[in-house]
Amino acid sequence: METQKTLSEQVQAVLQEALRVGAGEIGPQTQFGDLPQWDSMGHMEVMVALEKAFGVEITADTITELVSIPAICSYIEARHE
Amino acid sequence: MSEQLEITPVVTIPDHLVGQIRSKLAYVDELIAQAEISEDGSLITLALHRKASEDKKANIAGKIQHVVEEMARGAIQPKVEVLEDHSARPTYYDRDPMEVLRASAEVYEEETGVFVFGPLVTRLMDFFESRFLMLADEFEAKPYRFPTLISAKMLDRVDYFSAFPHSLTFATHLREDLDVINHFAHEAHYTEDGLNAPAESFSRFKMLNSPAVCYHLYFSLADHPLPDGKLIATAVGHCFRYESTNLTSMERLWNFTMREVIFVGPKDFVLENREKSRQLMEKIFEDIGLVYHVETANDPFFVGEFRKQVAFQTAFQLKYEIRAKLPFKNSTLAVGSYNYHQDFFGRHLGITLPDGGPIHTGCTAFGLERIVYAFLSQFGFDQSKWPQVVRDWIK
Repeated sequence: METQKTLSEQVQAVLQEALRVGAGEIGPQTQFGDLPQWDSMGHMEVMVALEKAFGVEITADTITELVSIPAICSYIEARHE
Repeated sequence: MSEQLEITPVVTIPDHLVGQIRSKLAYVDELIAQAEISEDGSLITLALHRKASEDKKANIAGKIQHVVEEMARGAIQPKVEVLEDHSARPTYYDRDPMEVLRASAEVYEEETGVFVFGPLVTRLMDFFESRFLMLADEFEAKPYRFPTLISAKMLDRVDYFSAFPHSLTFATHLREDLDVINHFAHEAHYTEDGLNAPAESFSRFKMLNSPAVCYHLYFSLADHPLPDGKLIATAVGHCFRYESTNLTSMERLWNFTMREVIFVGPKDFVLENREKSRQLMEKIFEDIGLVYHVETANDPFFVGEFRKQVAFQTAFQLKYEIRAKLPFKNSTLAVGSYNYHQDFFGRHLGITLPDGGPIHTGCTAFGLERIVYAFLSQFGFDQSKWPQVVRDWIK
């Protein structure tokens, strides 16, 4: 039986697919710039993927704030409280 | 014989993208002489150099739709922030200064987008140079001289070819082969289509004409820790950006001159100095009485990269443009910019801080020909109307 994924693990999975990186390259503390793939172009792929997966609206504020796994998780949690 | 082609875009072009999409349409096909977009963004009108077959017109229309689709569909409306507004200052001229400049032989167009400038324009360029050097002195910026050519290998390391391929210009030479050189010497002549030498006469491209000044500094620092962890430098250089049919007057040159003050170091150091340079230039421009405003902007990325890079740049406020008023056309022209590249060059070029992290970079850049053009557009040629600080310097 598949165990339920935490929000952080779900977010990491979304980023892994958006940035086309291997399993294990993204961890709970990964942030913008840590991986060559998470550059400015990669970040916009991340935003589009988060929009699809979690309904995150892409605005100037979200683009600048959602630059790490913890920041993304906090944002999503706050929206669903 | 020329011909017009009207195209209804697949997506209505939003107001804020009209200028940027229009400038990209020039690169869609060599047959396009001019491209216009209606005010409501619902119609594109192309002027073609000559009559085209129905197949060719369909091919052009398809490429145009691709550009519109890539740039406009799902585009994120940028939040434009105005940091300074000095657009209420008086202006003293309402005509395009190019008319007088051409008539008085102050400018001579050697080729499209390539100009020779006479004494008046040269003195005004020197005046603005003196102001930008005052700015550099405030930072005790170290002077540098950079070559006009730039390394293809290094440009590739900073992904330049995918971001701005449309405006590149290349430097080459004849292959080291006596038969090739002899053949060229006997056969090469200029025809209507350009130099008639066969393409295989030329070497592969290892160098390009430099599109920017500050890249040379970053390349020279590559793959090493930055000594002292901080650097402020200044340099002036020729820059080259091919802009096709957008090359009109002194507004947009293929070969232009840029003065930069360049900041390299930790994030706060770069951001604080970028802001300090803006505040210092505000005072310098006030003395001149230049009519302008400063607003958030983005670089002219290629179609494929455009939508995402623009959203990113504007969201992070990576570029502030100095936009000077052109009274004769009731519009503005970017004459300079305050830029922050985050740690992009540090990461791509392996330039590190003492703590091992990548350096951050930024630069303040001014286009000398453009600022002179904006000045003459605002103040005209009657020197009694010119600001005292300019008259004192020129005489």
